[in-house]
Amino acid sequence: MSLPKSLRELILGLADISEIKDLIDNELRSHKNPQLIVDELSQTLREVGDKYERGELFLSELMMIGYLASEAASNLKPHLSGAGKRSRGKTVMGTVRGDIHDVGKNIVVMMLQADGWEVIDLGVDVPPEEFVEAIRKEKPVILGLSALLTSTLEEMRNVIKALEKSGLRDKVKVIVGGRPITRMIAKEMGADGYADDSVAAIRAVREMARRGGGT
Amino acid sequence: MNHRERVIKALNFEEPDRVPIMENGIDTPLMEKITGDSFPYAVSRQSPIITDRSHESMRVDLRLKCWRKIDFDLFPIDLSTPDGWKPQMTPEGDMVDLWGRIMKLDKMTRAWIPYSTVFTDPDDYDEFEFPDPLEGGWVYALEYAKRNLEGEMALASSLRDPFAHAWEMFTPMKFVLWMYREPSFIKRVIEDIADFNIGIIKRVAEVGVDLIISSGDYCDAKGPMVPLSFFRDTIFPNLRRQVDAAHKSGVKYIKHTDGNINSLLPDLADIVDGCHSLDPSAGVDIGSVKKTYGDRLVLMGNISVDNLALKGRADIVEEVKRCIRDASPGGGHILSSSNSWAAGARLENCLAMVEAGKTYGVYPIKM
Repeated sequence: MSLPKSLRELILGLADISEIKDLIDNELRSHKNPQLIVDELSQTLREVGDKYERGELFLSELMMIGYLASEAASNLKPHLSGAGKRSRGKTVMGTVRGDIHDVGKNIVVMMLQADGWEVIDLGVDVPPEEFVEAIRKEKPVILGLSALLTSTLEEMRNVIKALEKSGLRDKVKVIVGGRPITRMIAKEMGADGYADDSVAAIRAVREMARRGGGT
Repeated sequence: MNHRERVIKALNFEEPDRVPIMENGIDTPLMEKITGDSFPYAVSRQSPIITDRSHESMRVDLRLKCWRKIDFDLFPIDLSTPDGWKPQMTPEGDMVDLWGRIMKLDKMTRAWIPYSTVFTDPDDYDEFEFPDPLEGGWVYALEYAKRNLEGEMALASSLRDPFAHAWEMFTPMKFVLWMYREPSFIKRVIEDIADFNIGIIKRVAEVGVDLIISSGDYCDAKGPMVPLSFFRDTIFPNLRRQVDAAHKSGVKYIKHTDGNINSLLPDLADIVDGCHSLDPSAGVDIGSVKKTYGDRLVLMGNISVDNLALKGRADIVEEVKRCIRDASPGGGHILSSSNSWAAGARLENCLAMVEAGKTYGVYPIKM
């Protein structure tokens, strides 16, 4: 008889979501601290990020893992209490105006949710004023701006300028992400961090939180 | 040697008078800037959507004028809508295309782009009315272009790849979910789209195209988007069926894909006649591809679209020189950007690419 699989094994093996939910339910019934399961999920996502960076995972596998981890996190949420119930912090995410590509952004959203972050996803083709309004209303610690097209880099600059104009720039850390983004471009447009793919984006959010951008 | 003869030579791995130059697409705002004409109707790169034939003729006219002004050698054009089809509009103002893709209008490029889907689960596919390649109208733009070109430029038909088609039809997340959970369903859809494409290939061959350029990506910057096993089990057998259909009609078949295609090249070299994009930003080195596959694959692309948008004229000239030095000797090379001239590209850089191609691409290559 084989040993029951761990949450990590099920997620990395792209198991059916029902198997993952059953495992979580069994562990909770056995009075396992839900926070320990959250920590295991978070640790698994770090491993996934490293594997993707090393070229050991295909995009489709990364997307599936993001989906499974996000579902697992939703399953766990009602069982968390006290400090564990609080999110790591609030983030606002969106693809900038003129760009409606969302595969990378959606992976980031799923991964962040699975990692315990509260994510307000503004969707695609988001104008600067909508980002400003969301920052004012939601008071996130991090704003993630996504773009696939080189032609929409200017729109990222416009969002940062709009934040400056409305006096909100120092209230939020801005991470810009997407295929055309380089460290130099991010710095030049006045962003606090950058990521050229979805895994790098998760890493940048965590790093920013560690340095004091999040809770 | 005219434009078409130059391309045919290159496709047959012979050296023409100079390296042929082409673009797979140019966004409408940039075409308007180049030609001075305006085109008020939105288009889509993924799907035929213009139903009014006078507007469709205008679309081809603008493109022809632009291609002639730039002095390109190869004219690619995509399919038209079948006769009588009308797009369905959602209350939010989005469009449902022929394939159940819900498309949003990108105001900057004035192009409709797939965003969502009418398919909520695989069962919906059985109710879906699949487009019929035998319907009239699909090749309207191609026939119109063929009449106007009169053999001046080589004519290419753009055709959406079944994998990219299904990926967009269901949205990437649903495609991936069903690929892992219901692989036989996804395989069936890709086979159905390949069957449709084979029907279309016969139609475009009858028009007299010189080549087919299969659009839609297989890779992102890191590599193939799905496992190699899925390529070998599902994608490549259907790609081969389409290539065989094209070859039966004497038409060459070029596969476009962005991203890092290095790990797919051994298979692609065995199936298709050439590869377009060869994205240097994703780590594709055209010189290395030429050394290994230059006798089997026609190479198109490798001038970075990021550089066209961000760098200066001198950088572009150097990039073109490198590309020609590495890929043009012996023929089998058509100079182009690593995707298309997007609305955000600097026109002076695009024009520098063509000018440098004409200056340094004269055979025999002397670099």
